[in-house]
Amino acid sequence: MSGLTISRRGLLAGSALLLASTALPAIGRAQTPKKGGRLIVAADSEPRNLNPAIVASNDVFFISSKVVETLAEASFDGKDGLQPRLARSWEGAADGRSVTFKLRDGVKWHDGKPFTSADVAFSALQVWKPLQNLGRTVFKDLEAVDTPDELTAVFKFAKPTPFQLIRNALPALSSVVPKHIYEVGKIEDNPANNAPVGTGPFKFAEYKAGQYYRLVRNDAYWGKDEPYLDEIVYQVLPDRTSAAAALEAEEIQLAAFSAVPLADLDRISKVPGLKVITKGYEGLTYQLVVEINHRRKELADLKVRQAIAHAIDKDFVVKTIFLGYAATATGPVPKHDPQFYTADVPTYPFDVAKANELLDEAGYKRADDGKRFALKLLPAPYFNETKQFGDYLRQALAAIGIDAQIVNNDSAAHMKAVYTDHAFDLAVGPPVFRGDPAISTTILVQSGIPDGVPFSNQGGYKNPELDALIAKASETLDTAARTELYKEFQKKVAADLPLINVAEWSFISVARDTVGNIANNPRWAVSNWADTYLAG
Amino acid sequence: MKRLHRFFQTPEAIAGALILALLVIMALAAPLLFPGDPQAIAGPALLSPFQHWSLPLGTDRLGRDVLAELFHGARTSLAVGLTAAAAALLVGAVVGTMAGFAGGLIDEVLMRITDAFQTVPSFLLALAFVSIVGPSLGVVIAAIALGAWTGPARVARAEVLSIRERDYVAGARVIGMHPLEIAFREVLPNALPPVLALSSVIVAAAILTEAALSFLGLGDPNRVTWGGMIAEGRTVLRTAPFLSIVPGIALVLTVLGVYLAGEGVVESTAVRRSLS
Repeated sequence: MSGLTISRRGLLAGSALLLASTALPAIGRAQTPKKGGRLIVAADSEPRNLNPAIVASNDVFFISSKVVETLAEASFDGKDGLQPRLARSWEGAADGRSVTFKLRDGVKWHDGKPFTSADVAFSALQVWKPLQNLGRTVFKDLEAVDTPDELTAVFKFAKPTPFQLIRNALPALSSVVPKHIYEVGKIEDNPANNAPVGTGPFKFAEYKAGQYYRLVRNDAYWGKDEPYLDEIVYQVLPDRTSAAAALEAEEIQLAAFSAVPLADLDRISKVPGLKVITKGYEGLTYQLVVEINHRRKELADLKVRQAIAHAIDKDFVVKTIFLGYAATATGPVPKHDPQFYTADVPTYPFDVAKANELLDEAGYKRADDGKRFALKLLPAPYFNETKQFGDYLRQALAAIGIDAQIVNNDSAAHMKAVYTDHAFDLAVGPPVFRGDPAISTTILVQSGIPDGVPFSNQGGYKNPELDALIAKASETLDTAARTELYKEFQKKVAADLPLINVAEWSFISVARDTVGNIANNPRWAVSNWADTYLAG
Repeated sequence: MKRLHRFFQTPEAIAGALILALLVIMALAAPLLFPGDPQAIAGPALLSPFQHWSLPLGTDRLGRDVLAELFHGARTSLAVGLTAAAAALLVGAVVGTMAGFAGGLIDEVLMRITDAFQTVPSFLLALAFVSIVGPSLGVVIAAIALGAWTGPARVARAEVLSIRERDYVAGARVIGMHPLEIAFREVLPNALPPVLALSSVIVAAAILTEAALSFLGLGDPNRVTWGGMIAEGRTVLRTAPFLSIVPGIALVLTVLGVYLAGEGVVESTAVRRSLS
């Protein structure tokens, strides 16, 4: 969301200028990063399973991406938006049935054993495809991984699989785990899931529940002179309001993933020695979505869904709930996505009169008390913003005569209510866009998904036309044609509104001035931090 | 009349009564002064107090009128406090009377159940109950009553134990009244005054518990509550402290008012007793 800093209120623009001026000496230092030091970071959740090859989610990556590396990482300027990590190069066959990875030479696991193509083959076939939350979809047709030599891995697919999809999936889905550790016993129960072993710049040292995770420098890392830091400590601060205080007290040096509440950013950007960074999350876009249960007869009516879309003031949501640190959404692909986004979709400007008209047309007249019908609204509890949007949506719906009753649940109960029991009419969800619609976006509207799959279409929506389009796109190899199909997909979703995309947001980091090389790739917070350093 | 006069002799009682009266007026006037939905968005977000005449206490993070929320919050607080206390007193009085009057096995069983409830901290009990059943106004009231009925039960039992030996109870037995009739028509009414004296403590505790539950996100999300307002304001505590302070002050004053008024009642009845 690099564009956002520019569109922010003048106040922040001013402070950004100020920041830029104070950052000048830091840029001078950037040429010669200092070695050593301990970086202390705020962590707001404590994932139990730290294996990123099984649990491909940001709270796990935040810690274990420094330990377990992927084949490639996202990049601002690399070809296809990628930079090499464990793979040096990748090539897709014209028939879409194979992808060849050339691997990096001289890489060692943290226990000293050499990293080879056998590890990649094992990870892909035994972990990503059968066990990983995202890999299950992307690698579903992966048949075999040939290893002609120690540094070559050839992925073979049973059905043609677009190379573009595999490329886009590399940064999040391709964490390589050591075969020699995981081939003993059940993979899900392996002790290395709680104390990961990888090839990354940092080794996992210890975890004290409720207190901290500690990573130490991997002296045998393949990157020249890297890593710069001696240690990374993740200080567990579950109370989100305490991160700002800890930063000011110099107890921590970095709070990523918006650990500092948005409302506090204006104030904290003026604290000397601290900087607010909006970059480094371009590859991790969260979408604010109204999930709809199409089993409700009112909501199965397109006019009602259009009315709801017209009733939501997206600008208000961005300005008031996200305090400007977000963008309004037009459809299921975020605006800043460089490959797939199209603005050419039906839009629903904020128009209460039109919304009321549509509801009247649909036959849901206001009763004597001014209400048309009642709905159950379940805002996801994961973010302050999703909860606040729930409060806002209730008011927005009240304005068009829909009486929404909010039901608050904790995370586990919300998951069960929405994705397993379907005990909702409307829900507010934060799905993630991961660089390719086929990874975790089409699943939000596709039919035939079994009950219980989180962040998928559990609203009973079924559109054969859209399903056919998704199926066709998933086997279209030509990048241009595939992109076109996904543009078509965006149009159809925006027209038929299986769900309503309201806004897309990313995160903010707050760091001390001394932390160098921050936000230098689109997934910085969940990348390996090999080049991060502490000056002074 | 005399009692009322005695009640108003202490300044504490007067202060308590005034605060309570104000609170009741707030609760009753809320739908008149602020008709419509108190959670409707009324203006720009995070407006500070005393900036705009139509929004004297400012607005919260979504632009909702804090004053309207405060008034409507008073309704919720009072409704929960009074209903929960009434339920707790009712259940406690009935259980205590049964135990004290019947004695023997029934007494044992009822008192052990009371013990069991008393050993669990009432707030934890409420927390567990609400998180299992799901938050709504009725559930919150039940959850609070669940942890509050044991005090009245014990007091009622002790009182009943002494009353049941009185002559008029023996007389009622002799004329052949049904034991249950004796318990609830002869004994209970006479055992009530000390039980009712507990009510101020229970109402105050109930209002606080409701606020704490709402603060933790376990209140009824479709109603304005002071605890919920404090929780909402907490995220912007550094930039807009009034969002937490305003409902916080309201909460403190209410609990204080209930307590002072309760003390006044106890004092005035105590005086009456010592006089008689």
